[in-house]
Amino acid sequence: MVVNSIRERTIAENSMVVLLQGLQGEVTTVDLRDESSARGLVLNVDAFMNIRLKDVLFLDRRGQTAQLQDLFITGRNVRYVHIPDHVNIMKTMESQLAKIHRVRNFAGGGRKEFGGRKK
Amino acid sequence: MVLVRNLRPPTEGVRHEEANTTAVLSGQQLGCGTLYVAETRLSWFDGSGMGFSLEYPSISLHAISRDVSAYPEEHLYVMVNGKLEKAAEEEDDDGSDSSNGDEEEVITEIRFVPRDKASLESMFSAMCECQALHPDPDDEDSDNDFEGEEYNVEEADGMEVDAAVAEAGQFEDADVEH
Repeated sequence: MVVNSIRERTIAENSMVVLLQGLQGEVTTVDLRDESSARGLVLNVDAFMNIRLKDVLFLDRRGQTAQLQDLFITGRNVRYVHIPDHVNIMKTMESQLAKIHRVRNFAGGGRKEFGGRKK
Repeated sequence: MVLVRNLRPPTEGVRHEEANTTAVLSGQQLGCGTLYVAETRLSWFDGSGMGFSLEYPSISLHAISRDVSAYPEEHLYVMVNGKLEKAAEEEDDDGSDSSNGDEEEVITEIRFVPRDKASLESMFSAMCECQALHPDPDDEDSDNDFEGEEYNVEEADGMEVDAAVAEAGQFEDADVEH
């Protein structure tokens, strides 16, 4: 999971995008707002729902297909992300949130990301 | 998003610059020029100063295409939300753009074909990085307001992330509508 900043971690843990981040490594279909769709391996989903896919079959809105080696979809243009049937949604979200908390606690040994407890 | 003349290429924040790159706009070849993937915008200019700039929020997606059955050359594909307006002296009547005049969203397809195909990955990555710098300002759905200190999960009251602690079936009678 590529999480680049404190802000992105905060956004992610407060939204369903953690579920999509947990789909890294899965092959799935993303439907875009303009009725086209892309099916490929999820490489990364960031907090803004920008999605990177690899080895993609792209079906444009005219029904034509094309293969794309790498595809980056801007979050704004995502309509649906298909969750593969074998993915356990709750477990995926729990494990993503656990990762976020582990990162935060690891970074917090002496220096905390947030203000820290006030005495 | 306009075709312009006599504009200068960006000099700051250029993550990738690729010379000898042909731009194909809605199927129309614009000639050979240089692509500038800069943090503020994506630009392409030919030798005479003619070119165009795209704002990242207007870009729906970008991709590396190596499928020569779909398009004869390996290239960087960019789908732009909206229509590229051409300068007054150029007529937009060749019908090669993707707008069919119906109620669909209008998009513009641009292909950047570098002479050096090995550059495609760097061009693509540079665009990914720059795109991530421009999150959607109109995103109303997410509660992304982030002012001041980061939300402290441990200190938040009553908010248990550990779902194993929750009673089985405690949400079964929850209202579905929201």
